[in-house]
Amino acid sequence: MTTQRQNTIFGLILLIIACAWTWLVIDTIPPGFGDGDIGPRAFPLIFGVSLGVLSILLLVQAYLRGRTGAAGGQAGAGQEVASTIHWVAAGALLVEISLYGVLLEKCGFVIATLLIIVVVMRFNLNVRSIKKIALMSVGTTLICWAVFEKILGIYLANGTWINLG
Amino acid sequence: MDSFLSALALAFTPYAIGAVGFGTLVGLIFGSIPGLTFTVALALALPITFSMEPVPAIGLLLGTYIGGMTGGSVSAILLGIPGTPSAAATVLDGHPMTKNGDASIALGTAVIVSVFGGVFSLVVMIVSVDLVSRIAIGFGPAEIFALVLFGFSTICGLCGPSLLKGLISGVLGLMIMTIGLDAIEGIPRLTFGSINMLQGVNLLVAMIGLFAVPFIIEAFSQRNDTSFGSKPMVNVRTELPSIRLLFKNLWLMIRCSVIGTGIGAIPGTGGAIASFLAYDHAKRFSKSSKTFGKGNIEGVIAPETANNAVTGGTLIPLLSLGIPGDPATAIVLAGLMIHGIVPGPALFMNHATEVYGMYVAVVIAYFWVLGLQLVGIRLFVHVLKVPRELLAVVVLVLCAVGAYSIRNSAFDIYSMAVIGVGAYILVAIRVPITPIILGMVLGPTLENEFRTAMMLSEGEWNIFYTSPTAVVFFGLAALIIVLQGLSELKIRRKSRQEVQPTDA
Repeated sequence: MTTQRQNTIFGLILLIIACAWTWLVIDTIPPGFGDGDIGPRAFPLIFGVSLGVLSILLLVQAYLRGRTGAAGGQAGAGQEVASTIHWVAAGALLVEISLYGVLLEKCGFVIATLLIIVVVMRFNLNVRSIKKIALMSVGTTLICWAVFEKILGIYLANGTWINLG
Repeated sequence: MDSFLSALALAFTPYAIGAVGFGTLVGLIFGSIPGLTFTVALALALPITFSMEPVPAIGLLLGTYIGGMTGGSVSAILLGIPGTPSAAATVLDGHPMTKNGDASIALGTAVIVSVFGGVFSLVVMIVSVDLVSRIAIGFGPAEIFALVLFGFSTICGLCGPSLLKGLISGVLGLMIMTIGLDAIEGIPRLTFGSINMLQGVNLLVAMIGLFAVPFIIEAFSQRNDTSFGSKPMVNVRTELPSIRLLFKNLWLMIRCSVIGTGIGAIPGTGGAIASFLAYDHAKRFSKSSKTFGKGNIEGVIAPETANNAVTGGTLIPLLSLGIPGDPATAIVLAGLMIHGIVPGPALFMNHATEVYGMYVAVVIAYFWVLGLQLVGIRLFVHVLKVPRELLAVVVLVLCAVGAYSIRNSAFDIYSMAVIGVGAYILVAIRVPITPIILGMVLGPTLENEFRTAMMLSEGEWNIFYTSPTAVVFFGLAALIIVLQGLSELKIRRKSRQEVQPTDA
């Protein structure tokens, strides 16, 4: 994929967001009383419309650059290879952090952290050595627990189902 | 004078000195690890400061900022990889010095000139914050609106290679911040009836997500090609440069400090731009410009002086006007606000003691930098050998602890994850994330000042164009955007391999 293509997709997504935002703002927020009274609706509306205009500009820019690049037949500014996005890693992390959040509420900091580090080490980093995984998870959990809960006095999550520490 | 003495009393407690030292150590470690910047360190350190007294808390944050700015030079010199973007210019001559066997003296010089640059900018800052606040104290809502708009357009224009993407990113930040209860009339906006959304997106949660999560994803997805441990590490220590060498380069250090402080004071710039300008300046005016790039000590002195001088510069608009110029100062701003210190023209009237305490904390932080770099350099070298993905696991836990501890709610962890993954995608398609965070910081001010101004004028728009100050700021804002747009059109034909001038 080229940068120009990536920008086109990005621009389209932004345009959709801007339209949805503007529609929601008009639909749900009451306007000011008029006569120069700036109500709560004005700023979100201005931002939504600005985003729409900017995304159209981005689309136009991507289109123009794509055309000049194609006409020249050379790898122009818009034709450079786009940077890769690691969708799998990003998606996995989103799931893992959410899981961590749930675990923190249900099992408390100590158990949740132990579990999540094991999951991350095993599946994201593909570590096979059980010793390494155990060392990392127990070590990190204990150090964090000691430093935050005991030394700094920061409240770490307590579980509603089960709780250690 | 009284407030200065009580500030000394506040800052010279063992607790405060320890807090500053802890911050400096964390900053040095995060700064020296490529990929982990001091912005991440600041975002993760912020929740720790909640329960502290104001002076130690702000001291810890400033120590992290200063330590991080200095720590970037360690990996730049030893590995040839900048620990933070602001140390990128240091690589050019610092790494060749390591190859020539002069690593110790390069590290020592980097520390000393960093301290020089930092203290120089502190002095400039103390004088200018006072001056600027005296001028700005007369500003009404219309002028403040114009000023914030100017600061914001500078940030969007200067912080990335594309003006359009900078503006998009800024508007996204402004949009996120309008979610939640409207500050003036208390009407819920885009909350979808959720109670969690009424408070809006928490700024600190967003900061942790924006800066730490992209690092974790990067570290997890490219784990084989970034092991620094395999590189041969010379047996390093920090060797202080001779007085003669420093004296010979004193004039260069002063000029680079001026460059750094000046650039730092412009919102949206930052350490990377300042250090490259300083490097370029040193090369142009040096008698031995041919040896630049081959291990010339001046090539280490110039960028390292300048990037630390930036720290004082960025605090000028922050303290006197309440406008943070980069993500790091935005986090310091958040820290100040948590402790009830609102930066702006009235800062000295309300919080003189705390401000003097901050100044003292900066000086203490530089003593810590000096001590830690001289004694602890071996520790940093070992930290560099730890695989990046293992650090990312620890950062993951710290993110969750940080996000959770802000309001003790798991909802914040979920929003951090969503914002973080969104930020990663934006970073991957080269959209700068600095304007998002500054949009979130400045958005409420922008809206509230505008609406207050309109209420004052009873709905008349002339409040914005009858004030000369406001008109000047509007003009400057427009000028910045137009100039940036034009220069982008010119650059288009040239190579676009530029350094990303942000520390985010």
